[in-house]
Amino acid sequence: MIDLPVIQTHRLCKSYGRTDAVRDLSLSVGAGRMTGFLGRNGAGKSTTIKMLTGMIRPTSGEGSVLGERIGDSEENVQLRRRVAYVSEDKRLYGYMTVAQMIRFTSGFYSDWRPDTAEFLRCKYELPADRKVKALSKGMRTKLALLLAIARQPALLILDEPSEGLDPVGVEQLLESLVTQCGEGTAVFFSSHQIEEVERIADQVCIVEQGRLLKDVSLDDIRQCYRRIDLVFPTQPHERDFRLEGVESVQTSGHQMRILASGNVNEVIERGHAFHASEVDVAPVSLREMFLSTIQENSHALV
Amino acid sequence: MLWYKAWLETRSRFLISLLGMVILPCYLVFDENRGPKQYTPDDWYNHVFHNGHGLIVIMWLAAVILLMMGGLLREKANGTAAFTLALPVSRAHQMLVRILSGFGQTMTLAVVPCSAMYLVAITTGRDTPVSHALSHVVLLCAGGLVFFSVAVFSSSVVEGEYTAPAVAFGLLFADIAVLGQGRYQAYSIWKFMLGNEYLDRAPQPLTGIPWPHVAANVLIAVLLLAASIRAIQRREF
Repeated sequence: MIDLPVIQTHRLCKSYGRTDAVRDLSLSVGAGRMTGFLGRNGAGKSTTIKMLTGMIRPTSGEGSVLGERIGDSEENVQLRRRVAYVSEDKRLYGYMTVAQMIRFTSGFYSDWRPDTAEFLRCKYELPADRKVKALSKGMRTKLALLLAIARQPALLILDEPSEGLDPVGVEQLLESLVTQCGEGTAVFFSSHQIEEVERIADQVCIVEQGRLLKDVSLDDIRQCYRRIDLVFPTQPHERDFRLEGVESVQTSGHQMRILASGNVNEVIERGHAFHASEVDVAPVSLREMFLSTIQENSHALV
Repeated sequence: MLWYKAWLETRSRFLISLLGMVILPCYLVFDENRGPKQYTPDDWYNHVFHNGHGLIVIMWLAAVILLMMGGLLREKANGTAAFTLALPVSRAHQMLVRILSGFGQTMTLAVVPCSAMYLVAITTGRDTPVSHALSHVVLLCAGGLVFFSVAVFSSSVVEGEYTAPAVAFGLLFADIAVLGQGRYQAYSIWKFMLGNEYLDRAPQPLTGIPWPHVAANVLIAVLLLAASIRAIQRREF
């Protein structure tokens, strides 16, 4: 049986007046996978997530989450039964205590796991009788996460989940996400912390100025992507190296740096053909791939 | 569970309001009763019992605006709207629970203080007809329903943590200042709630409940509440 995507959008757009926050976003997020959603500030990550969770309506285009249309308010209520969402600022009701917050949330879900909730409350060291308004930002983030994963959602959507957490908290978060994914929950999370994404994600989607630039698996990045540094006796021309599979080309004097997702041998041969005195090939980190993709496309998108 | 949330969110405001609204008018009646001044039954009604009702009306209006200070737009301002909107409940359902719980609380704030004041009056020897107390409650509820719906409506269309109650208080003062005197008095909700026209300055204070006026108030309130639900359904967060 083929697993259907848990999130699918087709040419999704969101405009505020004359500003396009999201433009023609076509996204497909696989079931049971951990997908990182990367982009700069204002790239459209939070707007996309808000459209997926029904908080804002798309200006045009279509989208579905777990097979339910995001634009239909009734279907949206249904999808929220199976989706857990942790928002960017993780604000919860300040007038409730931790125990009241857990009790309140548990009432909405038939698949709530009280044992898991209690286990996580102890693990995260959250005092049951403390008011939410008296919690630190890190503790509030942990409580928000507890409320999201104390049941078995089919999809977990998180907007900047590690923001405000100390290193121990970040480790607990990543561990919880990996466990949750291992239990069959698809995880879709936005983050600025590329190293964290690289550690746990199976797939990354990169957006810039509301457009999807890349949708690639981490395995592909590790296996196929290479950084090729070349040094030439004379200044090289970028166009000579724009082969298929070349993602970006940067030149600085006689040096050239190429990021390629394929045809690496052909690029190296081309380098030798142009009398490259040095050829250095190295694996690519997600950070490099992200920065290079953003740099390469930022001018083209304006 | 939304009822539980509505209760936790408003219980302090509700209980403080209830306490104040029971104590002050009851004390007013009790204190006048034990004073040296002698009242005829009509004077006692007009100068004491009716003043107690006026005090309840003022406190009730302030309480209802503060009680209905909430909802998704306020949550948007303080950052909790994302959590609320992620719950598997429609916005209309959330609004309905908020309106009904607020309605229950505001009606309690009308019935309990009026009843308490009546009980203090009769237990301290004042022969007050129960119809007077009932008329106070009817006028308070029927007129107050409009202010209740204005408070809900303003909290559904005006963003900001304290902007909506400020707008609702503004509308209340506009009613008092603009419609409260002169030839437009018949349209003033404030005047209707005080009930001077129906209850006061007559040997037989109760001249009857103005049912057409009550019906008009209920209709205005229902329309405003429906508009509030619609506004929240269409709102982007």
